[in-house]
Amino acid sequence: MNKPLSVCLCIAFVILLSGCGKREISDLALVMAVGLDKGKQEGTVRVTAQIARPADARGQTGAPSGQTGEPIYSISAEGRTIFEAIRNLARFSSRRIFWAHNFVIVINEDYARDGIMDVIDFFSRNHELRMRTWVAVTPHAAHELVSTQTGLEVIPGQSVDRLFRYNEIVAEAPRTDMRQLLAAYLSRTSHPILARLTLKGRGTSNKKPQEHGSIDQVELSGTGIFRKDKLIGTLDSKESQALLYFTERVESAVVPIPCPDDKKNEASLELRYQRFTVEPTYQNGKIYFDVRLKTYVDMVESGCRSRLSQAELMQLMEEPLEKVLKERLEKVVKAAQRTYKVDFLELGKYFENKYPKEWKKVRDRWEEEFPRAVVRVHVETEINNPVLLEERVNQRGENK
Amino acid sequence: MKNLEALLQSEFTIDYEDNVALMEEVLGKSCDIVKREVIIHEKVDIPCCFFFTDGLADDKQIDKAIRDLQYHVTHLDGTVLGSYDLIRNVQTHLLSDASISQVDCCEAAVEAILSGDTVIIADGFEKVLILSSRGWKTRSVEEPMTESVIRGPREGFTESIRTNTALVRRRIRDPLLHFRAMKIGKRSKTDVNVAFIDGIVKPGLVDEVFQRLERIKIDAILDSGYIEELIEDVPLSPFVTIQSTERPDKVAAALLEGRAAIFVDNSPFVLIVPTYFWQYIQASDDYYSRYWVGTFFRMIRYIAFLLSLTAPSVYVMLLSFHQEMVPTPLALTIASGREVVPFPVLMEALIMEITFELMREAGLRMPRPIGSAMSIVGSLVIGQAAVQAGLVSPFMVIVISITAISSFAIPNYAASFSIRMLRFPLMIASGTLGLLGFAAVFMLLVIHAMSVRSFGEPYFSPATPFRPSDQKDMVFRMPWWMMDKRPHMAKGDMYRQTENQRPGPDHDQGGHESDE
Amino acid sequence: MKTKITNGILMGLIINMVYPKAIGVTQGLMAREAMNDIWVAMVFSTIKGSVIMLLTVLIICRMPDKNLAEYASVLFGKWVGKFISLLQILFFLGAYATVMITFVYHMLDYFLPEMPVLLLIVVALIVGVYGVFHGLEVLGRTALVGVFAIISLNVLILIGSLHLMDVRELMPFLNTGVINTFIASRHNDTDWAVATMMTGMILPMVREKTIWSRAGVGGVMFSAIMVGMWPLLEVGVLSPEVTGHYTVSCMQLARSAEIGMFIHRYEMIMVAFFAITSLVQTMICILCTSQAASQLFGLKDIRPMIIPSALVLSAFGYWIVLDKVRAVELLEHVWPVWALSIAISLPVILYIVGLFIKPRPTPSDRETA
Repeated sequence: MNKPLSVCLCIAFVILLSGCGKREISDLALVMAVGLDKGKQEGTVRVTAQIARPADARGQTGAPSGQTGEPIYSISAEGRTIFEAIRNLARFSSRRIFWAHNFVIVINEDYARDGIMDVIDFFSRNHELRMRTWVAVTPHAAHELVSTQTGLEVIPGQSVDRLFRYNEIVAEAPRTDMRQLLAAYLSRTSHPILARLTLKGRGTSNKKPQEHGSIDQVELSGTGIFRKDKLIGTLDSKESQALLYFTERVESAVVPIPCPDDKKNEASLELRYQRFTVEPTYQNGKIYFDVRLKTYVDMVESGCRSRLSQAELMQLMEEPLEKVLKERLEKVVKAAQRTYKVDFLELGKYFENKYPKEWKKVRDRWEEEFPRAVVRVHVETEINNPVLLEERVNQRGENK
Repeated sequence: MKNLEALLQSEFTIDYEDNVALMEEVLGKSCDIVKREVIIHEKVDIPCCFFFTDGLADDKQIDKAIRDLQYHVTHLDGTVLGSYDLIRNVQTHLLSDASISQVDCCEAAVEAILSGDTVIIADGFEKVLILSSRGWKTRSVEEPMTESVIRGPREGFTESIRTNTALVRRRIRDPLLHFRAMKIGKRSKTDVNVAFIDGIVKPGLVDEVFQRLERIKIDAILDSGYIEELIEDVPLSPFVTIQSTERPDKVAAALLEGRAAIFVDNSPFVLIVPTYFWQYIQASDDYYSRYWVGTFFRMIRYIAFLLSLTAPSVYVMLLSFHQEMVPTPLALTIASGREVVPFPVLMEALIMEITFELMREAGLRMPRPIGSAMSIVGSLVIGQAAVQAGLVSPFMVIVISITAISSFAIPNYAASFSIRMLRFPLMIASGTLGLLGFAAVFMLLVIHAMSVRSFGEPYFSPATPFRPSDQKDMVFRMPWWMMDKRPHMAKGDMYRQTENQRPGPDHDQGGHESDE
Repeated sequence: MKTKITNGILMGLIINMVYPKAIGVTQGLMAREAMNDIWVAMVFSTIKGSVIMLLTVLIICRMPDKNLAEYASVLFGKWVGKFISLLQILFFLGAYATVMITFVYHMLDYFLPEMPVLLLIVVALIVGVYGVFHGLEVLGRTALVGVFAIISLNVLILIGSLHLMDVRELMPFLNTGVINTFIASRHNDTDWAVATMMTGMILPMVREKTIWSRAGVGGVMFSAIMVGMWPLLEVGVLSPEVTGHYTVSCMQLARSAEIGMFIHRYEMIMVAFFAITSLVQTMICILCTSQAASQLFGLKDIRPMIIPSALVLSAFGYWIVLDKVRAVELLEHVWPVWALSIAISLPVILYIVGLFIKPRPTPSDRETA
């Protein structure tokens, strides 16, 4: 019993002393965000990496450190392939570029129009990158967006990550990560969509408060539409909100509605609990989709100078709300069916689940079949909660 | 030396002078052996000689014996004097000591003297009397130093074996509780007692224990640690397979679970066999506090066990191989702390571990007044100054401190030490091979641990092999009214208590009615 | 010394034998063929697996102190028994290669990309040999630790990825057709085959033969429960296409799992648990091979055969793992044929032949009985 033990220990010790493949955390350049642009030359790609400078990002931790005041260090390099460009980054970086902590991949829209197959392949093949990395397109230069200081977090990549995570509050862009992009790209029924990041001058400097909007901030709003791997168009924030009903769960959304008897003012309605169903039917070779949205709504703000009681007010606003929601849903369906003619709404998946046999027949020509399908939208709302207030604020004072 | 052997084997003769000379020759001129000659009958004048060891024998008892002999011998009938029966009459009529016996072999007499008894050699008698006069200075029963409890008895074992057995006997007044005695050590002749409860003890265990004890051929046993090392199952293993305890209540509990206890004279540590690994994580408090509390503390100790075994290795592994596993904000914090540290993580960890072990060892050996100075210097060195000088990262200090605290939370010192030992191979493996090294060394440890047996019982017993009935007292400490059965190991009388011990108002009702 | 293990430990061994490859590699292989119905394929193969398991137990129950090869040598003579031992060695040679593929690619691709493959193989070899030298009893107890690891791993993955699950991906039921799904289930059959072959070798060392069949089939069922959640989660979270896209798809699932906002990178804990069961599987493979080898060479003790057989297994495993194309080729095409032809035909033939030929009790039999 002892002999094998000692032999094992000896071998183990020799192996252990050699120590392979080791690099310590302080030898790494932690990439927080990466941007992809077209290179200067035709057919090249420009990769920009936003790298965190830990000592500056974390400040005083007991040890004296050379503080530059710049929490991030952005570098970019070009290459004919993404991998070559990334290797070229190493020419500038004093530490080994480490991708595992990357929060977000930003792709320039010009680049995306030529196809992002290489991006999908590279980032899903590479073991350092995770499937939970957010992917977005931007109309701006990606290197500019990546090197912009934004949000409350010291590291902008982290701010963008938070934007995605708390996206459900505004729900104006899909939360697309690598996993979904890959799944949608590989899927036979649907096409990928990506969230859209834009730069907007919305930040105000403390030093010059009079100059509003002097600092660029990253905004998460809108959607990029792909056919296979090529960007073919975008949706604005309202359309994106409607799109989210189809692709993910919408937790809440806010819709302002004009007051019933006072068109100058508006009331805000918050959609709290919603049930969204898609019911496909197949009749005589024709495909129908019945999209049903049933939602319970809170009235979260009312600027209505109205004589009506709150209950009546809420009742009267249900119909316009239904109309607004229906319009929105129809608009995005129209965008899918008419404008772009791609099924990014995953309607094919609904159809496949209900009619697997029929699906096999239409599967190969779904591209042509989809624009011809009839989509009927039904919306039902119930405004039933005035939140904390039992009476309108202006009920007594304004009653003429 | 051969000469001495022969002398020891010789028997006493009828001749008084010869006997005394024999004793003197065997005992030599040791200054602590006292020879006291008295003449006990004023008419017949019988010379008598007392041999005893100064300091071991109780002076008062010897005084009394001499007084008895000198003053009361006259009361004896004259006819018996000088006759063969004198000594027997002395024994039965005169000496009022509790324990007295006759021997005829020199060896036994010498052993009696060296154990603190008094040997009386009388003229005209070919045997000698041994008067029990043991009485030396012992430490009184105090609170155990190594295993203190919040709730529970505060008595601890002492160096005297009789006190120790008495402490256990006081807890179990059962005639089936047996103490079997033997002596080990060619020179030390240490008393060793094996305790067990007949009818509960695991069958064959007592024979096995005696077999192993009899194998021991050693000159001296100075502490139960000697015995422990000489009868272990796996002498090469880092695991401790024999539990040692200072607490009589622990021994009593173990006996009631079907184990056996080995008492060794001159050692306040009693050995309990067989032992399961989990016993080291259980404390007496678990059983005396309410079961919620007991279970909670036990959980904490399991966490402490895991942390003290793996915390530094996991940290080293994460930082030198698997940086992607650290949550990003934490990774940045750690990276910023390590920015100025010149050492690799593994080396940093080893330095800190060794510093900590140094402090612990120094603090243990230092006289108490210097100890506090030690801790001030130590906390300055490994805490503030090392971090500010940029030698170690603040995170490493935290990890090492948590590990240290966890290892102190394990109730048994020996076990906590063996876990501390195992930490180093694990740390080196994970610092050089990452997850692979960690998994491989951990697996080797697991295989080894699974192969260990303690007196025929698998060491990790209620868990692997899995014994569903023993789970009530492993991770959880179930309430007493649920632990009806003794552990799997016990045989015979399996039930601790009658069923339905759960208290509650409905149980009391019957009692109330009958009272009225 | 005849070591004996309990039926509970037998179940533990079966679970460990099936689990690592079934969750790690098999699901991806099946997803390429059966798409979203891999869980149905798993149900199919579980049924097949339990039937073969039952057959194996029934065969051994005829002569409770003989394993398959010994039984065959009683029926047909010494040389057939040796031939069956050879078949068993061949089987475990392939099985070890798949185990190494699972173990090495999990570690290498996702954790230690710069580690030489040889080192991983050597470490598995050392741990395996060390374990096997302690014998079946210790191995069985280690397998129980493996079962604890499996349960913890399952709980962790369940907490982390249940909220990402999209039930729509599982629909429509039997999309690719029953027959296609049934054919795809052969990949999972190979996992059960490893378990049944192991049972055929070690069952005589299990106590209380009255509940053998219950323990054997129960082991299969427990393994099915342990493994069963993985195809559901992998398809639900990753989508069938992505599952089929990767060699080791369960790692992608593990990497996507997150508990709350902060704990979103904990796959290392899961892989640490996974490594335990994987190494237990390694040990059992070495044990079975060396037992078959000792029967082949007519040795009483398996110890002298441990190191040679472990070296042969590791060498073959190394050769396979070194080239990923070769490894996938083995997994996808060669191994199902290789494994199933041995693992299904052996018990079936022995069972049917055993119905007709009743061996005469020979003097040597009486001695052993």
